Amino acid sequence: MTPQIALPILIPLFAGALSLVCWRSRTMQRLIAVGGTAGLLITSCWLLMTVNREGIQVMQVGGWSAPFGISLVADLLGAIMVVLTGVIGLAVALFSLASIGRGHQDYGYFPLMHLLLAGVAGAFLTGDIFNLYVWFEVMLVASFALLILGSEKPQMEGAIKYVTLNLVSSVLFLVAVGLLYGMVGTLNMADIARRLASLEDTGMVDVLAMMFMVAFGIKAAAFPLFFWLPASYHTPPVAVSALFAGLLTKVGVYALFRVFTLIFHHSPGYTHEILQWGAALTMLSGVLGAAAQFEFRRILSFHIVSQIGYMILGLALFTPLAILGGVFYIVHHIIVKTNLFLISGIVQRLRGSYRLEALGGVYRDHPWLAVLFLVSALSLAGMPPLSGFFAKFIVIRAGLEAEAYGVTAIALLVGLLTLYSMTKIWNEAFWKAPPDDEADRVPPRQVGQRELWLMGAPVVGLAICTLVIGLQPDALYALAEASAAQLLAPERYIEAVLGTPGGGV
Amino acid sequence: MQLAVLGGFVLAGMAPLLHRWFAARTPLLMAALPAGIAAWLLAQWPMVVAGGALRLEWAWAPGLDISLTFLLDGLSLMFALLISVIGAVVLVYSGEYLRGHRDLPRFLVVITAFMMSMLGLVLSDNLVALFVFWELTSITSYLLIGFNHTDSAARKAAQQGLLVTVGGGLALLAGFVMLAQAGDSWSLQALVERGDVLRQHELYTPLLICILLGAFTKSAQFPFHFWLPNAMAAPTPVSAYLHSATMVKAGIYLLARLHPALSGSEAWVFTLSLVGALTMVTGAFLAIRHTGIKTLLAYSTVMALGTLTLLLGIGTPGALSAFVIFLLAHAFYKGTLFLVAGILDHETGTKDVTAMGGLRRVMPLTAALAMLAALSLAGLPPLLGFVGKELMFVSLLEASSWQKSLLVPAFVAAFLTLSVAAIVALRPFFGARQETPRTPREPPLAMLAGPLLLTSLSLLLGLAPGGLDGLTRAVLADIGASGADVKLALWHGINLPLGLSLASLVLGGLVYRYWDGLRGMLRRLDPLMTRGPEAGYDALMAGLVALAAWQTRFLQNGYIRNYLVMTLLVMLGLVGHAFFFRHGLAIELGVSVYIHEAVVAGLMVAGAVSACVMRARLAAVAAVGVMGFCIALTFVLFSAPDLAITQLLVETLTVVLLALVLFRLPRFATLSTPIERLRDLVVATLTGGMITLLMLSVLSGERLPRISDWMVANSQPQAHGHNIVNVILVDFRALDTLGEIFVLALAAVGVHAMLRFHARGNPAGDDGGSGGPMKSGTLILSVAARLLLPLQLLFSVFLLLRGHDEPGGGFIAALAASGGFALYLFAFGRDALRQVLRVSPRDLVGVGLLLGMLSTLPAWWSGEPFFTAHWWTIPVIDFKASTPLIFDIGVYLAVVGVVLTAITALVDNDRHDEG
Amino acid sequence: MESLMAVSIGVLFATAIYMMLRRSIVKLVIGLMLLSNAANLLIFTTAGMRRGAPPLVPEGLGAPTSAVADPLPQALVLTAIVIAFGVLSFAVVLVRRAWEVVRADDLDQMKDTDT
Repeated sequence: MTPQIALPILIPLFAGALSLVCWRSRTMQRLIAVGGTAGLLITSCWLLMTVNREGIQVMQVGGWSAPFGISLVADLLGAIMVVLTGVIGLAVALFSLASIGRGHQDYGYFPLMHLLLAGVAGAFLTGDIFNLYVWFEVMLVASFALLILGSEKPQMEGAIKYVTLNLVSSVLFLVAVGLLYGMVGTLNMADIARRLASLEDTGMVDVLAMMFMVAFGIKAAAFPLFFWLPASYHTPPVAVSALFAGLLTKVGVYALFRVFTLIFHHSPGYTHEILQWGAALTMLSGVLGAAAQFEFRRILSFHIVSQIGYMILGLALFTPLAILGGVFYIVHHIIVKTNLFLISGIVQRLRGSYRLEALGGVYRDHPWLAVLFLVSALSLAGMPPLSGFFAKFIVIRAGLEAEAYGVTAIALLVGLLTLYSMTKIWNEAFWKAPPDDEADRVPPRQVGQRELWLMGAPVVGLAICTLVIGLQPDALYALAEASAAQLLAPERYIEAVLGTPGGGV
Repeated sequence: MQLAVLGGFVLAGMAPLLHRWFAARTPLLMAALPAGIAAWLLAQWPMVVAGGALRLEWAWAPGLDISLTFLLDGLSLMFALLISVIGAVVLVYSGEYLRGHRDLPRFLVVITAFMMSMLGLVLSDNLVALFVFWELTSITSYLLIGFNHTDSAARKAAQQGLLVTVGGGLALLAGFVMLAQAGDSWSLQALVERGDVLRQHELYTPLLICILLGAFTKSAQFPFHFWLPNAMAAPTPVSAYLHSATMVKAGIYLLARLHPALSGSEAWVFTLSLVGALTMVTGAFLAIRHTGIKTLLAYSTVMALGTLTLLLGIGTPGALSAFVIFLLAHAFYKGTLFLVAGILDHETGTKDVTAMGGLRRVMPLTAALAMLAALSLAGLPPLLGFVGKELMFVSLLEASSWQKSLLVPAFVAAFLTLSVAAIVALRPFFGARQETPRTPREPPLAMLAGPLLLTSLSLLLGLAPGGLDGLTRAVLADIGASGADVKLALWHGINLPLGLSLASLVLGGLVYRYWDGLRGMLRRLDPLMTRGPEAGYDALMAGLVALAAWQTRFLQNGYIRNYLVMTLLVMLGLVGHAFFFRHGLAIELGVSVYIHEAVVAGLMVAGAVSACVMRARLAAVAAVGVMGFCIALTFVLFSAPDLAITQLLVETLTVVLLALVLFRLPRFATLSTPIERLRDLVVATLTGGMITLLMLSVLSGERLPRISDWMVANSQPQAHGHNIVNVILVDFRALDTLGEIFVLALAAVGVHAMLRFHARGNPAGDDGGSGGPMKSGTLILSVAARLLLPLQLLFSVFLLLRGHDEPGGGFIAALAASGGFALYLFAFGRDALRQVLRVSPRDLVGVGLLLGMLSTLPAWWSGEPFFTAHWWTIPVIDFKASTPLIFDIGVYLAVVGVVLTAITALVDNDRHDEG
Repeated sequence: MESLMAVSIGVLFATAIYMMLRRSIVKLVIGLMLLSNAANLLIFTTAGMRRGAPPLVPEGLGAPTSAVADPLPQALVLTAIVIAFGVLSFAVVLVRRAWEVVRADDLDQMKDTDT
């Protein structure tokens, strides 16, 4: 048996339940927060190593052989995503220790965080389409609760949009699952893929593909379905924003990768062409949205949208190199985007605002923070030699080799506009002298040394990640290459899931 | 060599540390690195001049076809030498220029990093590595232009420079990818040999355009020249180093490097010559409009860069040797002049040449150096600049037919440049002494050393240009003119080029003489100037922001229903398109309906529709209730007892919740206009219709066998349960149920937090509010509650235990139990409930969840996949215990806890509002 | 019957969406309820409906003697109902808190966080 497939789900679930039981002890909750996320990271690394060494890992939950029970499946993409979940989880947990207020901690911040991670990990590891829905909901409700924690007015307004649109997405997903079950009579994704191939009515398959595309497109915040994201991501405490920014939309992207490589890959000329244009417009509209913003976190939020476009582009081009680029991009983006949000949190803590107008002088007073920002921001904009450059480079190269010149040109342009946004933040928040009138700024509290260390450590760690990926891209490249090869050979996935009757031994 | 460059980056990072140890001596110390590199490069000189090349392999990311292989041949040797020698000079110089500046350590970090990037750029053999260094120079340049970061003009200039160069850089990236595709290699050395293949390739034109865009933006060619003068916001040593001697020549370097691979086509010759000539004239002409010494020099740099491009465009061996000499000469004199400008600015406190005068008396050495450099700039003997300019005239005269006409702009540029030289070198030093903000004196040696070195080189090589023969030949061999006969000399006798030089001397002198008047005249052109390319850049930026604002207003407008409509329309468009164009309408309507079924369905629809049109809130809620009830009936009619019970209980709870919550909200008001309602109606109908169509076509389409057949057959034999639905829930698909109870727990935590925790304003304490009974607590209610609670609990346990075999199960049982508790709560208040419960509902949730998870563990001991069921028979009462049962008990506890958490929170909240 | 249900479910979806597009947040949440109910019914219906044959194995037997209704969609719908219950309770309370904070039932007054 390979417990490491289930552990990345069970550990955060367990940690969440335990934190609920230890509701009244803040100390216990904080200990569990670090221990649980560290456990998640360790087991997920273990899982990745196993998958990398031995190929796709499967666990038939409850011992019921596929396709009758629920299968947990870890292929390279899933395992990579879970590792990232662990990385982000641990980083945000550490950051939260210093940055999350007592009130938030008293009202369930840590249990919610664990369960969000559990939902995310579950979504990455499940091999069952309805189970995917369940994990989506776990993740979603956890995010709802995290989003409103604090009950401030902007949070409420943002949450209403977030909740509504995400529920629409869930219902669409559910409808699609219902229709799919009506047609093929199974829920196991590998089994669905196998049975769909034998179906004569391919038109209806395309229809379902579109439904999944829209449902996951909303989750992934693709154009023009992203409204919920910029409406809400800047409202909760920054650790929550960072967690969301790193993981939530990526679950949507992951789901798109999964279904459009495993299940709906029979008419790429139709489905993937649509994805391609969706990707291009997503990149463009996201970056334009950011250009209109003058608040640290809002700019970053819109950039999430724009970068989702790059990842989807990787999927849409549907060549080995492109998928590889997509995977590479996801890894890079999760690390860097989370880090930028965390940095915005530190800046806010030091200066008392997210508004660029009210910020300034961080470069003068906190050069180390400026360096960390610069590394992450330039990486986001795809400047060498950071992780973002290689991510972008691979996607661009794939685009040109696939002769998709239009979208590639857009991808390049978007890179430039991203740089524009990042220099806007740098110029205003870091270089500019702090403004004199501090009228509507919350006077910043004195930040203790210990607090600063706790907040700084994860930021430094993530920055080192992007730097290391940038300086030594080969390791990740090889991993992404292998995962792309798996994704483009769905029969391997199907065989791994269905070919070993009697459970994953 | 790679180690030296990479080590340089490390050294750059250590600059602040070094500065702490060595203080003011740090720059001198750090200059040792470029000096050492220069020495090493000089040692390679003989080998390179002899026609050799050094290739230093270094793997980086072989999977990505990226290597850090360095190639040292004539061309890269020339550039690397310039970079390292001037780099060392500039480091020493800036230690003095920025003495005591608080940002000196940061400056050293960035400028050293730049130096290394630039070296990497000219030495890289791999296209991607070259690009990496290329972008690094852009970034470091950005940081250096914005060095005076509190100055908004500096920030703007920095951003402009970055965006223009990186914008070009991105085109360059695309160009490189296409180049590698066309030439099937990422190595420059290999590509250079495949010129014929490349020129024939279908991608030739697009890749040429992209690469030229990259080179032209970097090297400030027209119409991208505008960023360079603005970049003068940087400290002067930076201007000297980046924006005249090295970085701006990166584009030129690239063009030269790719000359053998790409040149020769009409597009190449035409674009380069034309852009070069235009840049030349623009630079020279704009220069004399300005009085700031650095701006003057910057425009003259633009002019020089144009000249270099033009020479590459002509591409004859003569032009190429002119290219080499002009490049070197320019680096020497422009470096000197900038450094002198820095000295002037440092000593006098102003940058305006018209505000200076008579300085030769206080700083004679500086004056002498400035004048020598200016002679070279002006292209007068006996300096290297003269040699370069003569060679340029010669090559133009020898060029093919139409290119001869470019002699005109070259001549114009030459005499304007001459006047620029005069302005820069004569104006500050001669004439009447003028008062300046600071009292000038001769600068310290560290600042003079650089100009001294560069000027002597300029003079020496001008007197004996033969010393460059070997290098020029080597460079020429690298850029596609191998075997050219190079004989450099200062004096070629009296010929046409010399005549041109004399003519330009006269005209240039005139311009200098009447410069002040001329500037006044040129000022009248100002309105025209504001329409230049820079205005285009500004308009583009403004347009971008406007477009962004428009898009935000249009898409992200804050109206949730617009978001919904957009989302639904996208769904309808995509799904509808796929449905009608890829599937088609093929539906069989089979109608076999009993009348009572039709009535139930009709009532359900009626409930939903009336919920829409009801004006009273409670009526709308009741209508929803009717619909939910009909759904439960449907479940009963179609063989789903578990579903029916669940639906009924959930519906009841939901309606109660709605009533409890909405009670306090205002009445419905009609807020939307009829047109809006019509639009919404259309969207809603379309969506509903689409769903119906989809369902009908699935129902009448091909259907494959179900996996549930297996479940029906194996539920009893393998999972020991008669209620198949329950077996699926707690065994076959227990993982779903586990997720489900976690969803409920999360919702409860969320509800609790929302009602009780307000980050700002009245924070409701965990134990706020009195625990007495609610007002509605009547006698009947309390008696009923007291009696019902044990009964209901008993009943719920019964439901729980039988769930595996008959309708029931943990969830249903829990809802039944919570009903009893809820009644009790309403009757006696929270404190009483707490006494009965003895634990907080929240703990119940936690315990239930833990229990559910623990039930997965026994499987682990036996090494089975988790959640594998285990059965034990308890002997005395002959009761079969199992992990699925434990799991179901966990579900039961968690759900009871969830419902109670939510209800107590709501009740408390109400009491708060009342109180 | 399935055809009739398909039409009814279509109508449910339409009413749900119409409600969600109103400006009142209360209507929005009622719309969400209708929507999730409609989706549950859709799963139930699309899998095929069968009268009077609940998926129970008679006492003492290993398997049902005649064909029974498909139990799997029932289990899915049960899970979906419970999840929807959790989510909707959250939404209902959210609406109420939003009203308390914003003091308006009008969604048009809740657009400060955008733009």
